Amino acid sequence: MPGVEGFSPQGMLHEGWSAEVEDYAIVCGWTLGGKALLVGDVAGGLYLFEGKSGSPLWQKKEVHKGGLLALSIHPDGDIFATSGQDGRVLIWNSEEGESTKVIELGDGWVEHLRWSPDGRFLAVAFSRRVHVYGIDGHEHWKSGEHPSTVSSIAWSKSNELATACYGRVTFFDVVCDEVNQKFEWQGSLVSMALSPDGDVVACGSQDNSVHFWRRSTDQDSEMTGYPGKPSQLAFDQSGTVLATGGSDVVTVWSFEGNGPEGTAPGQLSLHTDSISSLAFSNHGMLLASGARDGSVLVWFLKNNGDGDPLGGAFAGELVSAIAWRPDDCSLAAVNSKGGLTVWEFKMRTKSSPKGF
Amino acid sequence: MTVEQKVPVTILTGFLGSGKTTLLNRILSEEHGKRIAVIENEYGEVGIDQGLVINADEEVFEMSNGCICCTVRGDLIRVLGNLMKRRDKFDYVLVETTGLADPGPVAQTFFMDDEIRNEFSLDGIVTLVDAAHIDQQLGRSDESSEQVAFADVLVLNKTDLVSDESLDILESRLRDMNRMARVVRSKQAEVSIDTVLNLSAFDLDQVLKRRPTFLEPEYPFEWTGVFSLEKGRYELSLEEGPDPTMSLVVLEDQGIDEAALNAGAESCVRLYADSAELLHPGSTVPIEKHVSLQLQSNERKSFFLELDNPTHIGLFTQHTAEEFDIKVSRIDTLITTTESDGKNDALVQPETERTWVAEHEHDDEVGSIAIERIGDVDPEKLNKWLSRLLSEKGVDIFRTKGFISYAGESRRMVFQGVHMLFTAQPDKEWGNEPRHNQLVFIGRNLDEKEMCREFDKCLV
Repeated sequence: MPGVEGFSPQGMLHEGWSAEVEDYAIVCGWTLGGKALLVGDVAGGLYLFEGKSGSPLWQKKEVHKGGLLALSIHPDGDIFATSGQDGRVLIWNSEEGESTKVIELGDGWVEHLRWSPDGRFLAVAFSRRVHVYGIDGHEHWKSGEHPSTVSSIAWSKSNELATACYGRVTFFDVVCDEVNQKFEWQGSLVSMALSPDGDVVACGSQDNSVHFWRRSTDQDSEMTGYPGKPSQLAFDQSGTVLATGGSDVVTVWSFEGNGPEGTAPGQLSLHTDSISSLAFSNHGMLLASGARDGSVLVWFLKNNGDGDPLGGAFAGELVSAIAWRPDDCSLAAVNSKGGLTVWEFKMRTKSSPKGF
Repeated sequence: MTVEQKVPVTILTGFLGSGKTTLLNRILSEEHGKRIAVIENEYGEVGIDQGLVINADEEVFEMSNGCICCTVRGDLIRVLGNLMKRRDKFDYVLVETTGLADPGPVAQTFFMDDEIRNEFSLDGIVTLVDAAHIDQQLGRSDESSEQVAFADVLVLNKTDLVSDESLDILESRLRDMNRMARVVRSKQAEVSIDTVLNLSAFDLDQVLKRRPTFLEPEYPFEWTGVFSLEKGRYELSLEEGPDPTMSLVVLEDQGIDEAALNAGAESCVRLYADSAELLHPGSTVPIEKHVSLQLQSNERKSFFLELDNPTHIGLFTQHTAEEFDIKVSRIDTLITTTESDGKNDALVQPETERTWVAEHEHDDEVGSIAIERIGDVDPEKLNKWLSRLLSEKGVDIFRTKGFISYAGESRRMVFQGVHMLFTAQPDKEWGNEPRHNQLVFIGRNLDEKEMCREFDKCLV
C-alpha cells in the first residue's frame, strides 16, 4: 500500500483530554452542537462531559436495569434516546440529563435506536418488530413481524426506514405504512449502511462477506474474502467509498465509475488487531478507525479507495466507538475498559483536502 | 488486551418435559461459587429463580452456501456478543434449548463465529432423557435422536417411573446410539453438579486424562456368568429366546474380579472369531470352543457339561441369561431334590454376573462407530480420507472424537469434530505406551465396515 513506508505520526491527533467511566463504554456521541460529549457504558451509566475541557457535567447510574444497549442523539443535539436490556426506551434532555419520556416495549432487549434525519421520528428495533415514535414518545407506526430478530436499522429518508434481519432488507414508508422495497438473500445480515443518496444498501454478513444492493436497478453484489465478520461499515458523506471492517485491515470499496464490482478495494493496514469501529468525518474523506488492539488511526481517502494515514494514537483497549465532533476538529474514542480519549484534530497540509 | 480465560458454556438439551428447567434450577440453587448467566430458549411453566437470565427465541441461520455445517444460532451470537462486554458479572453460561432444537448449529456457533470462539468455550452438551417417554420420541423425531447423539452426558431422568429392566434396555439403546457419552441416572434431575458442569468435553485432552480409553470395548457377547462347580455332570437348560440359535463359549478357571472378567472377555473375543460349531440339544458343550446352541424346538432344551475337577466355569453368551432363561443345574442330585418341595436345590446360582456392551445390529438409524487399531497411521492418507468422508457424509456425522498415532510423531494426535468442522492437535508424548488409535463417529446410517476398511488403508 503506498504511503505505509513513509508513515510517521504527523501529530494530527493532539492529545486533548481523557476521562474514565465505570464500565465497558459502548457508545459515545457529541451533543449540544458539539459542546458536550455523551458516553454510555454497558452497565447503564450515562456521562456528559464538557467538550473542550472534559470536565464532567452530569452522570447517571443504571439507567437501564440489566444494562444499556443503544444510544441515539437527536439531530439537533438537545435530546437523545437510550435503550437497554430492560425492554425500555428513554428519551433524555441533554442539558440537564433528565429523562423526559419512558417507552415500555415489554420483556426483551432493545438493541437498536435511530432518530430520523429530520428529527421527527425515533425508530426502535425490538425483537422481530420495529416501532416508530414521535418526540413525545407516542407510537406512530409499527412494522409486522420480521423473519428473525431485526439486526440493524437505518433511515434512508425522513419517512423511509430500512431494516435488516436474517435473509432480508426491507424499506418501509412509516407514514403511509407501506413496504417500498424488499431484498432477499439467504444470509445472516449483521450490519447495514446506506449510501447518503440512498441508492446503495450494504450489509455485513455472518458468512464473512459484504452484500449490497442498488435500489435503482435492483442489482446486487457480494464482496467475499473477509477473514472475519464485517460488523463495521461506513459510507463517506459523498457516497463514493464504503469502508468495512472484518479483519485488521480496513477494506475500502469505491463506487466510482462502474465499481466496486470487478475492482480491487483499497487496503488500509496499520492496525495489528481486528477493526472494532469506523467513522467518517462529517465533511470530506477522513476516516477514523479503531481496533481491538486499542489503536486509533485517521486516514485521508482517495476516491479509488486507497488512503494514507494522517495520524495515529493509542487508546489503550478495544476501541468500541469513535465520534467526530460536528466540525470535524475533534475526535473522541471510548474503549472496553471505560477509557475515554478526546483529541484535537488538525490538518497540516498546505492546501486543505478537497471538501474539508 | 489482557489475556482472559474463556467463559465455559454448557448446553442443556432434551425434549419438553424431560426436566431441563428442574435441572437448571437445581444447578442454580446449589452452592458452587459460580455466577451463572442463563440463556433460555424454552419458556416453560417453571420459572428460573436467578438474576442473570436472558430469554431469546431460537434463530437458526443457514448460510447462502447451503452448507449445513456453517449453520449457526443467531440468537446465541447476539446474546453472547453482548454478554461478553459484561464479563465481570458472570463466569459460566448455561444455554437451555427448546425441546426441538438441533444441537448441531448450537455447537457450531462456538467454532464458526470468531468473536464467540475468542471469548467462550463450549464445555459440554448435556441431554436430558425422559425415561418414560424417550422410546416413543426416538422413533418419532430426528431431533430427539440428534440430541442423544450430540450429548457428552446423557441424564436418564424420571427413572422412578420406569422399571429397572426397562431402564437397562433403554440405557443400552442410548449407549448404542452414543458411545462417547456418560450416562447418569436420576429421578428428579438430582444429579451432582460435577457430572454436568466443567466437563471440558470439547477439550479432548482433558477427557482423555480422566478416561484414558473413553470407549468401553464392544464384545460379541452380552452376558457372562461365573459358576463355582464341583466335579460332576451338569445340565445347561434354556428356553427358546428371540433367536433360533445362540453362541456360547465356556471357559474354565474363570476368576470373578473385574480384571479376571476382562481377561476372560478378551480371550473369548478370539474364540468367538472362530466359526461356531452347531450343537443340538442333548450334546455335551466343549470347553474353550465357540459353539452355537440350536434352540429351535418348543420345549426347554438341555445341554451338558462334564467336569473332571472342581472349577470356576465362565459362560460367555451371545445374549443375556434373562432372554433365554439360562439355568445351570447339577444332574446327579437332580432326581432327589425335585421331589422335595418343587424347589430345585440342584440349581446353581452364578457367583457373579456381568453384562457387556454388545456389538449387534443397531436398530436406530443413529449410532456410534468405533475404530480401534494398534499401530501408526500415515497422516497424509488419513487427512485425505477424513476430508473426503466429512465432505461427503458430514451432514450425517454429528460428532467425531478420538486420538491417532501419526507415524514419525512422538505425540498423540487428538481429533475432535462437529459435522464437517474438524480439529487435530498434538497432545501428550506417547512414551512407553503402546501406540494405538481410537476414533469414534456418531452419526446417522454410517457404514461401519466401509469406514473401518478405509481407516485400515491409512495404517502404515
